[in-house]
Amino acid sequence: MNTFRQRILESINNENLQIALDNNTERRLKGRALAFESIPDWRERRQRAHAVRADVIDHLDKYLEQFIAKNEENGVIIHRAKDAAEAIQIVLDISKESPQRHRENQKEISVHLRSSLVNSVLIAKSKSMVSEEIELNHALEKEGIEVIETDLGEYIVQLRHERPSHIITPAAHLKKEQVGELFHEKLGIPYTTDIPTLTATARKVLREVFLTADIGLSGVNFGVAETGGICLVTNEGNGRMVTTLPPVHIALMGMERLVPNLDDLALMLSLLPRSATGQKLTVYTQLLHKPLPNQQRHLILLDNGRSRLRNSPLKESLYCIRCGACLNACPVFRELSGHAYIGSDLSIAPYPGPIGSVISPGLLGENYVQLAQASSLCGACKEVCPVDIDLPKLLTRVRADMSPSPSGRGARGEGGAGLSSSTRFGLQLFARVATRPWLFAVSQKFASLGTFLLSPISRWVRLPAFTGWGLSKDFPRFAGKTFRDGYKNTSVDGELLNRPVYKLSKPRFTPAHSNTLPLFDIQFSTELAALGGHVHSTHNPTLDVIQLLKSRGVDKIHLEPNTLDEILLRAASIEFTHEPDPQITVGVTNAICGLADTGSVLIVDGAGDPLKASLLPEIHIVILKSSNILPSLPAALRFVKNTSAAVFITGPSRTADIEMTLTIGVHGPKEIYVFLTT
Amino acid sequence: MTTVQLFVTCLVDSFFPQTGQAVVDIFHRLGIGVDFAREQTCCGQPAFNAGLRKDARAIAEHTIKVFEKTTGDIVTPSGSCAHMFRHNYPELFEGDSVWYPRAKALAARTYEFTEYLVDKLGVTDLGAKWNGMLTYHPSCHTLRGINVDRQPRALLANVKGATLVGLPHAEECCGFGGIMSVEHPELSAEWLKRKITNLEATKSPTLVVTDAGCLMHIAGGLHRASKSQRVMHIAEVLRNW
Repeated sequence: MNTFRQRILESINNENLQIALDNNTERRLKGRALAFESIPDWRERRQRAHAVRADVIDHLDKYLEQFIAKNEENGVIIHRAKDAAEAIQIVLDISKESPQRHRENQKEISVHLRSSLVNSVLIAKSKSMVSEEIELNHALEKEGIEVIETDLGEYIVQLRHERPSHIITPAAHLKKEQVGELFHEKLGIPYTTDIPTLTATARKVLREVFLTADIGLSGVNFGVAETGGICLVTNEGNGRMVTTLPPVHIALMGMERLVPNLDDLALMLSLLPRSATGQKLTVYTQLLHKPLPNQQRHLILLDNGRSRLRNSPLKESLYCIRCGACLNACPVFRELSGHAYIGSDLSIAPYPGPIGSVISPGLLGENYVQLAQASSLCGACKEVCPVDIDLPKLLTRVRADMSPSPSGRGARGEGGAGLSSSTRFGLQLFARVATRPWLFAVSQKFASLGTFLLSPISRWVRLPAFTGWGLSKDFPRFAGKTFRDGYKNTSVDGELLNRPVYKLSKPRFTPAHSNTLPLFDIQFSTELAALGGHVHSTHNPTLDVIQLLKSRGVDKIHLEPNTLDEILLRAASIEFTHEPDPQITVGVTNAICGLADTGSVLIVDGAGDPLKASLLPEIHIVILKSSNILPSLPAALRFVKNTSAAVFITGPSRTADIEMTLTIGVHGPKEIYVFLTT
Repeated sequence: MTTVQLFVTCLVDSFFPQTGQAVVDIFHRLGIGVDFAREQTCCGQPAFNAGLRKDARAIAEHTIKVFEKTTGDIVTPSGSCAHMFRHNYPELFEGDSVWYPRAKALAARTYEFTEYLVDKLGVTDLGAKWNGMLTYHPSCHTLRGINVDRQPRALLANVKGATLVGLPHAEECCGFGGIMSVEHPELSAEWLKRKITNLEATKSPTLVVTDAGCLMHIAGGLHRASKSQRVMHIAEVLRNW
């Protein structure tokens, strides 16, 4: 048995892992199905999304040029990396040039941070699959740079010295007991399996990292060619922290992750969160254009095999938007989890699941082709893919040795990549037989005799386990008299069916849109309340905010200018500042607009730093004019176009990284209050 | 009189000839002739799925030539062989100016059995009778490969006396996957176990499928586990009048 099969067996026999995986599969599939109910035209959207991605990949050079020019205009420093080594070198160079913050004065440095930290560069990192692909952390640590993952799931796997097991839920393979033990051992807290306590611990430790890091490093979900916008979606708020707080932000992006314009972005954003986590919109949907004041932003565009893939029969795999739905739907992933997807050198593939079995060999070469054989081609992946990638077809192409070779020699081999030699021999022999009808018929006779001798009494042959088939099932005896033996070309001797013949009725028509216009503020309130947010209508927002603050015992807030009546605040002895302060627990901001169908609010960068006021405190209070509630995202994107940075906030910060259990308040605010004014 | 070409499939031919006979009987009852081109063998799917495209092409070329000598619609009691003709033959011959059009022409004539009955002939009631429970496992290539699902369900809904019960997680693969059941038997075994557990939950003694691949896989698993349930091809259920 080869090592890949051994690894599969280990996963299957790991009871904890199987429970975690069943949990992941069931919750994610249910969540996805539910989320898609709110867009009845999803089939059409999916086809449009496919066409958009196809257009981008077909005209990638043109869109990249546009995207890069816009970013340069926006003051973003562009780097292009043709492979992993170049990308790593770019990050190292930026790290060397970046001024280090002084951490000596820091009151306490968490126990898990290395003592050398005060002297080394600290990078706070949000989730990036591209960084996994190029094994960035390892390379940086070798150079003495401290990299800390800040997504809760990534943080957990980093503390365990593991790779993420799922592209969306990195710690999907772990149970809360394991996380409890890990935090007890590494962070010195008493052992607990209480998920909110574990989450709060990570929040505390990582908050310090955000505030003291020299560099924030993030991935990119989409680049918008027309505006140069970098779109990032995160639920916990760590993506916002690393792009907002450190003086340097490095965005690491696969060069294919573009959409032409904001309308296309809106389309993708209607599909990505629904497919990934069953959300209508991710909690924080950021669009970054210009660096913030006193911030430097670098954007690294990585090729690393993408150009090769683009010119290969696996081109369609570049349409992927990394939602992870194909992993959740895949019966193979459900048994394996990400860590069992290994190459012939035993290294774990950076991308697991059906898409991983195509792009891991597609980007990184032959080492990973064996993964493509572990599939029944059942098509569950294609069915859930938000951009309708024909994954079963691509898997058969990898098997047919049509993946590009890193040496640039094009398609290699004669097919049957990753196939065992016995199966290959058997199939090649069968092909010879099947192209000769007489030999085929004779072989059936021999096979019939053979299986009869093996099992003269039962119709079923008990094959030994080493045959593969015999591991879990019996094999049917070949028929003594095959169909071709018994068949006589006959004319019709039966009478025409004498009963009524029913045609199927046409599927009932369901209107996609109801006739009554929704009242946007009611819809907004309902959606936000469902996420745990609070919505109140008010004629005097200042008085209502004061009342809320008093009830919570709060007397100091971070306030966006021109949001509340400052005279009334002073009269009520509420202290306010327009500067961010990590000690302040309440931030009050305006919202440019609201989105009725998702319960989101749009916050844009400006005076008084509303981006930080809506991020650092535990409670975020939003003032929104109810006439500014728009039906949905596409209508709101025009407000974003000319901002330096903007974020759509959809409910309180949340995570489901431990056992898929929804936990509110990770890095961003735990509570969100929206006051609707008339 | 209409005559259809039967592509019986290698599995039905070699292991389950009674399924092929049921298909013939049903067409005869509908007043439709059935022609069986004797040179047909296998569609080439095992080699194709394994990535052995050269071998798959040889079998596909043979099959195309066999059916080019015939006329009329081609009907096959297998969603995965229909999928092979319809989607994988054009994939195999993409860019080949000689074979690609021939593959497309074959694909255009090909129908899965229940699809042909319902969509082409407009028949949903064959006058079949059954005594007891039935549950349906939608084969992956029938359901997702060629999007045929309402057709077999409509046909089963009109079987008199049958109580149709839903199979939990019906859309999950049974673990056959052609060569996967041999190349990755450990995975295959897990899915088979789950499929059998779900079947047991229905209390139905009979599981209906549209593909002989799933049939031999699930039935083989049931026999190994000494279970009493049986697996039947839908043609045999519909033949029961």
